[in-house]
Amino acid sequence: MATPPPVPSDKTSDRALSRRSFLRSTAALSGLTALAASLSPLRELDDFTSTEQFLQKYYKELTPEEMTRVLARIEKEVERQYGIRPHVRDLRPMDGVEFVYCLNLTRCIGCRKCVHACVAENNLSRDPEIQYIRVLKLPHGSLDVEKAEHKYTADQVPEKGFFYLPVQCQQCRNPACVKVCPVHATWQESDGITVIDYDWCIGCRYCEAACPYWARRFNFAKPGLPAERINPDMSYLGNRPRKLGVMEKCHFCIQRTRAGRYPACLEVCPVGARKFGNILDPNSEVSYILREKRVFIQLKEEMGTSPRFFYYFDK
Amino acid sequence: MPTDTPLAPGNRRAWTNGVLAALTGIFALMAGLFLANLWGRPSRPANPLVDEAFLDTAPWRQSYADLARAKEDLSDFDCYACHEKNEPPPIRYDADLNIIIPEEHETIKMGHGSHQRNNHCFNCHNESNLLVLHTRDGRELSFAESSVLCGSCHGPTYGDWEAGAHGRISGYWDRSRGPAHRLDCVNCHNPHAPRIPSRTPAPPPSPLRGPRTDPSREPTH
Repeated sequence: MATPPPVPSDKTSDRALSRRSFLRSTAALSGLTALAASLSPLRELDDFTSTEQFLQKYYKELTPEEMTRVLARIEKEVERQYGIRPHVRDLRPMDGVEFVYCLNLTRCIGCRKCVHACVAENNLSRDPEIQYIRVLKLPHGSLDVEKAEHKYTADQVPEKGFFYLPVQCQQCRNPACVKVCPVHATWQESDGITVIDYDWCIGCRYCEAACPYWARRFNFAKPGLPAERINPDMSYLGNRPRKLGVMEKCHFCIQRTRAGRYPACLEVCPVGARKFGNILDPNSEVSYILREKRVFIQLKEEMGTSPRFFYYFDK
Repeated sequence: MPTDTPLAPGNRRAWTNGVLAALTGIFALMAGLFLANLWGRPSRPANPLVDEAFLDTAPWRQSYADLARAKEDLSDFDCYACHEKNEPPPIRYDADLNIIIPEEHETIKMGHGSHQRNNHCFNCHNESNLLVLHTRDGRELSFAESSVLCGSCHGPTYGDWEAGAHGRISGYWDRSRGPAHRLDCVNCHNPHAPRIPSRTPAPPPSPLRGPRTDPSREPTH
């Protein structure tokens, strides 16, 4: 066996850089760079969760005094972020009230005014865009939502041979979304509205997957909300500004309906296709409609979710 | 064993140092670019805000009652400023039995029903007193009571309207907290051409990755 030839030594000079020390320092440098880059989203975090919010109790466990403090905190945060002093309330369900929505498919012309009135009323993110109502365009003679289109760009509506089916949260009696929530951040209230506590939601999106109506929306980015279009009439479970990483959905305009008013999508509908009211009141419009009209579907009835949103025809 | 590179040790050190310096420079540059987030977030145009006209909740038309309440100009309803009393205005038809609208009433477009049976002015207007309307059974109604006139033919729809199932509504569903504002037939329907005209829809949802420039890539389903 021949002895190995002597390895050429770099030790002739102290200033020379060996391959090993170069690799080591490069690895260290790139490691630091990668660490810095991975932390760089922190620079965009201008709304750190406050200690108050972090330590806040579950909605149903809050005492009235604690709720007052929570509402004050939200008002302060909204004012700091958007420069507008809002009026945030926590409206509770009324006794003897169960909300039902009816939508007249004979009348709907697919003008999408409800979509944008909802966006304006509920402080929805404009960029990226979040909308609670999806207006489906369906060919006559079918109710196959597979054939539906919701990005139609017609010049004039209604188009011949089509009808329009606006879909939003159906406020089910048997809501799949509530069952799957691992942290009870969403639940059904006694007036039938399924609500979300945005401060309790962990953003796992199970509810989005469970909902057969595609009614739930996720804040993939910080909501882009122009300050000049903020609606200052806010409610804790309703339209207060959401944050990155939480779910939201239609809540029947809780800040309006629990104060006795009609929802925004109903008031803006130019053809009066939308009807809303208390089903427990026999004199309400919705009671009349369910009694007298051809109410033909709860959407995807076979899912067993039993929606409180009814579609009907006139003729 | 192959012999090593023929470079002299001094040259080789200089070459290595040069390469290392260049590589370090490249890494530093990349780190700088990375932190500056030059390609981390592709820029895209912001979604335009929707035209506020689409948020308007006002009714399309004003009824006689609205105008009277707002104390606006009611001269359009003063028929005898032009017409003569006790002299029913003549009505002319063309060969297809379409009514010929006189020049003085050129803003009126007749289109009440898809047939031609309801294009006669005096089905609703009273020819012996133009200031009132009348139903087929002879009841006289003022312009402010026009909804009752509509209901004299459109009974089921009138019933729905009375029950709140037809027509627009705003205000309070809980009448103990506040009033609900109901509209008359003529707030939405033009009595001469009641079919609601088609209109431009509000913009569709924006795609997540900026506006679609190529319309042929519109999803077809």
